[in-house]
Amino acid sequence: MLQLMRIAVMAHHALMAYKLRSLFVICGVGLGIASLTIIVASVDGANRKALEIVEFFGPDAVFVLGGNITTRAVGQRTLTLSYDDAERIRQSLPGAYLVVPMRAKRNLTVRGNGGSMQLPVVVGATARYAEVWNWPLAEGTDLTEKQVARGAKVCLIGDTPARELFGTKSPVGKTVLLDSLPVQIVGRLAYRGFSGGGGSIDERIIMPITTLTQRFNMDRKYFRALRVKFHEPQYMDAHSENLRSLLRHLHGLEEGEEDDFSILTADEILKFLAMFKGGLVVFLGITAAVSIVVGGFVLANLFYLSVSERKFEIGLKKAMGAKKWTILAQFLIEALLLTVAGAALGMGLGMGFGQLLERLEILEIVFSWKIFFLSLGAAALIGLVFGLKPARQAAEMDAIEALKG
Amino acid sequence: MTASLLSLTDITRTFLQGDQRIEVLKSISLDIRAGEFLALLGTSGSGKSTLMHILGLLDRPSAGTFLLNGRDVSEMDDDGLSELRNRTIGFIFQSFYLIPYASALDNVLLPGLYSPTSTAKLRKRAQDLLSLVGLGDRMHFKPSQLSGGQQQRVAIARALINDPDILLADEPTGQLDSATSTEIMTLMADINSQGKTVILVTHDESTAAVAKRKIYMEDGRIGEGG
Repeated sequence: MLQLMRIAVMAHHALMAYKLRSLFVICGVGLGIASLTIIVASVDGANRKALEIVEFFGPDAVFVLGGNITTRAVGQRTLTLSYDDAERIRQSLPGAYLVVPMRAKRNLTVRGNGGSMQLPVVVGATARYAEVWNWPLAEGTDLTEKQVARGAKVCLIGDTPARELFGTKSPVGKTVLLDSLPVQIVGRLAYRGFSGGGGSIDERIIMPITTLTQRFNMDRKYFRALRVKFHEPQYMDAHSENLRSLLRHLHGLEEGEEDDFSILTADEILKFLAMFKGGLVVFLGITAAVSIVVGGFVLANLFYLSVSERKFEIGLKKAMGAKKWTILAQFLIEALLLTVAGAALGMGLGMGFGQLLERLEILEIVFSWKIFFLSLGAAALIGLVFGLKPARQAAEMDAIEALKG
Repeated sequence: MTASLLSLTDITRTFLQGDQRIEVLKSISLDIRAGEFLALLGTSGSGKSTLMHILGLLDRPSAGTFLLNGRDVSEMDDDGLSELRNRTIGFIFQSFYLIPYASALDNVLLPGLYSPTSTAKLRKRAQDLLSLVGLGDRMHFKPSQLSGGQQQRVAIARALINDPDILLADEPTGQLDSATSTEIMTLMADINSQGKTVILVTHDESTAAVAKRKIYMEDGRIGEGG
């Protein structure tokens, strides 16, 4: 133990003596570790995102869109879901306990409290919107059956417009103008912090679907989307299949005809996210692996140089009584110190760059202890694998030959 | 008659060069007693370096017996020899061989770091030795900040750190001017008078003048003279 401590001190001194060379190795390994840090952080970020989306979406829910989403883009889809459909689903689909039709109106301006803001989307929904979407209210109350039935001029306000117009003051009870329609805010939705369907979902205002269609002259028979929640989420596959055949029946589709609607489940969203994540893992994984291996080669290269340049030091130490293992240990410790320093640098770089990506909203990332240990492990492994050969060469050197230079 | 510290009987050393066998040492027998100051003289190619390597446990004889303190060392493995070298032999080289990035003190400490002696004891001893060789005020100088003679003094202090029985000096004055050479040889004589066995390897008769016993090597054989 005493020996090992002394050898570690020697290794440290040697590294300090060859500063530039040490720096090259640290940078080489550091870049590799930085990419590793970013890949793990972004994959973790994607995972968390996926879980959040699924939780928000609800594992017990499906989302039905009018038109076929695989063949038509947003805004191009036909309106095929009618209020009759919604009513029939509510009455006859087994297991369904909540059926919420939705419509959306794009690009409205909201004014109030002296400010104004362009809203990407105003959502028309039925009663208990917040509950149906697992979206807690920061304050106020949810939309009620009564408000929906009589087309009340009330709304729920998202976090962004609430902040934009009212700052830190409570918006509940205040009246805002949606284009020219005055509506009263009854509740404020909690901050959600992710985007979907054109801009952040926190930029929304939600009002009764009846109010939206009546006041903005929208089609009264059809709506854009339908959200259905089921009991017993373990049978989601069956639920969604039942819903599909019911809708096909209601729409009078013949066998062989394509669906004129699309059913999204949490599973499908997860599948889509997994596909996206897979691409990310492969792309960044290759980058990280390549840069880590490059770092390893830089290390091995400079270590061979070191061993031949420090031949006399090795010969001297052997003459002075150093055993093989002590020489081996010194060079391995040197390699480990460098790669671990590289790991520290890499983690710093990776976190800095990751934070930048997050701030620029390019990537969502999550840092964890896992990254710390993974980086450290990878770096140590590089040090041992690429340092071993030169270190053994040093250890096996003949003292007389080494001293001759 | 005291027992021999080093006892060589019929030592030969053969090197293979291609398919040629070159016999560098030819049946050498030599006894060195504790406390001797011995000079090993010879021209280059006489085999004195090879003999020094064997005496210094850096090389093994091809044949013959080599006893150190009565113990046969010709069959020991590398690590065993390393340990024995560490305890019993202090080396002094022609070109000093100081580690360039380490201070004088750290250079002196080096052989001690491979021994079980505690660091505190080693530091104390290293400081004492540097004072002894007249460098008490330059302990933290790097080799590049010291003159040749001072560097060799550091090397001598280093050779003594583990309190070895034998001091093995290979052309210790080869890179020094004559005044400095005299100082270094006087220091070696002092060390010998305090009881250490000193073996000096040199081609230079005047350097060997302080030695009490001289051995001449020629063509792989020895003859005593002086």
